[in-house]
Amino acid sequence: MPIPYYQVDAFTDRLFGGNPAGVCPLEAWPDDETLLAIAGENAKPGNAFFVPSQGEADFDLRVFTPTQEVSISGHTTMSAGFIVFEALGFPGDEVTFDGQAGLLTVARDGDLLTLDFPALPAEPDGPLAAAATALNAGPQALFTGLDWMAVFEHEDEIRALAPDMAAVAALDCRGIMATAPGKDCDFVSRVFAPGAGLPEDQVTGSAHCMMTPYWAARLGKTRLDARQLSKRGGRLVCEDRGERVAISGQAVLYAQGEIEI
Amino acid sequence: MGRYRYQVDAFTDRVFAGNPAAVCPLETWLEAEVMQAIATENNLSETAFFVPDRNEFAIRWFTPVDEIDLAGHPTLATAHVIFSALQPSRDAVTFTTRLGDTLTVKRENSNGGRLTMDFPARPPALTDTLGDVATALGAAPQAVLSSRDGLAVFETEVAVAALTPDMDAVAALDCMGLIATAPGDACDFVSRFFAPKMGVPEDPVTGSAHCTLIPYWGERLGKTEMLARQISARGGTIHCGHDGARVRIGGNAVTYMIGTINL
Repeated sequence: MPIPYYQVDAFTDRLFGGNPAGVCPLEAWPDDETLLAIAGENAKPGNAFFVPSQGEADFDLRVFTPTQEVSISGHTTMSAGFIVFEALGFPGDEVTFDGQAGLLTVARDGDLLTLDFPALPAEPDGPLAAAATALNAGPQALFTGLDWMAVFEHEDEIRALAPDMAAVAALDCRGIMATAPGKDCDFVSRVFAPGAGLPEDQVTGSAHCMMTPYWAARLGKTRLDARQLSKRGGRLVCEDRGERVAISGQAVLYAQGEIEI
Repeated sequence: MGRYRYQVDAFTDRVFAGNPAAVCPLETWLEAEVMQAIATENNLSETAFFVPDRNEFAIRWFTPVDEIDLAGHPTLATAHVIFSALQPSRDAVTFTTRLGDTLTVKRENSNGGRLTMDFPARPPALTDTLGDVATALGAAPQAVLSSRDGLAVFETEVAVAALTPDMDAVAALDCMGLIATAPGDACDFVSRFFAPKMGVPEDPVTGSAHCTLIPYWGERLGKTEMLARQISARGGTIHCGHDGARVRIGGNAVTYMIGTINL
């Protein structure tokens, strides 16, 4: 049975920018091995699979890296929302997905897509020395949660990072983000998740679920302009809404096709 | 405008095995920067592009980071697209490469439409100049040889299957990639291929490594026709022919995806 496939560049307004994701709308769930095999074969940083929901959401969503299922992925969910709006003829400007991280909403306003995601807690006083060794650099502070968050003083330190990927993969976390105040924006970041098959992730929505509350509190503002300083680069507009975080960006359709399995 | 893109699993007869390649048929070449951007976006070990060239085709290959001069599995994948989708009446196709080489791929009517590529042999010679191969592989081979790639020969298939190389140490060796090989339990020989220097820690199935493996095993076993398995996680089957200065590298291929790119 052919499976529809879309490839989207998220958090960018131009082809070959942002973070690529594969999106497969399904009628029903195949077995987990098939989902993992498709995600591995597609070799994209994120792969979204969704089926019509029987519950209060519009669709049930599962997201995978090339090597494993993950509980939450912002750019992948944004890509899924983009396809729902642009390719599937979905009525309205707000779609709700039910995933491992609970209900996630993607809203459309013109070209702008906004994710409504849970704020992810960050526990202070994490193992600073282990993070410093893995990152080959000296962060000021380390927070722990779904990912680890290493806070640095300067944007230049983030640009210069050359982590020891084997050491990062051995840390007790999904991935580690490094963040600092931005020169031309509120904060900058890079995200490394070699343990999840992503040595450096290009633009990471879910990392901003952790960084947004931190920077909102530190800078005393709710609306934040963020840049992810990966090779492809990404721009995200983040809003602290207490228990939730809104993350906005654009998306572009790179390719569409059918998987023959 | 939309341009076709295929994704093919080479050296296998079932999806999710073998080595995936993207294949993009073109009418005329795109700018090299655009082909590179497409290959990066595809994020497979190689993307092949080809254009009509007189009655045959010209081919170029890009990894996610660079253009390369010769590649086996994407050539097999490209021939599969031509035979299965574009020109099904053919049973042979010739590609001209950027360096001016010609590569011919033939299709058999039997054996599930197996494809056979004719490539130059790169016979290996004994060497002791690659560096510490035993430490890099975490196990001591019986012999170390080299051509373009290093060749570490082990006694048993299980020894090759158990290897857990130190990729930084493999990348520091004085060779492009490192092949580990041994006699096969259910075939003539098995191998694995490590090329961290090229951004590929372990390649699932490697056509070009067989340019070296075939002359080595052909001489050692006194055979001209051999069956090989590359025992990576995805795994692949390679039908080998040893013709002196040339080798035949054969396998099946299967289409995983057909689609279009929005350029």
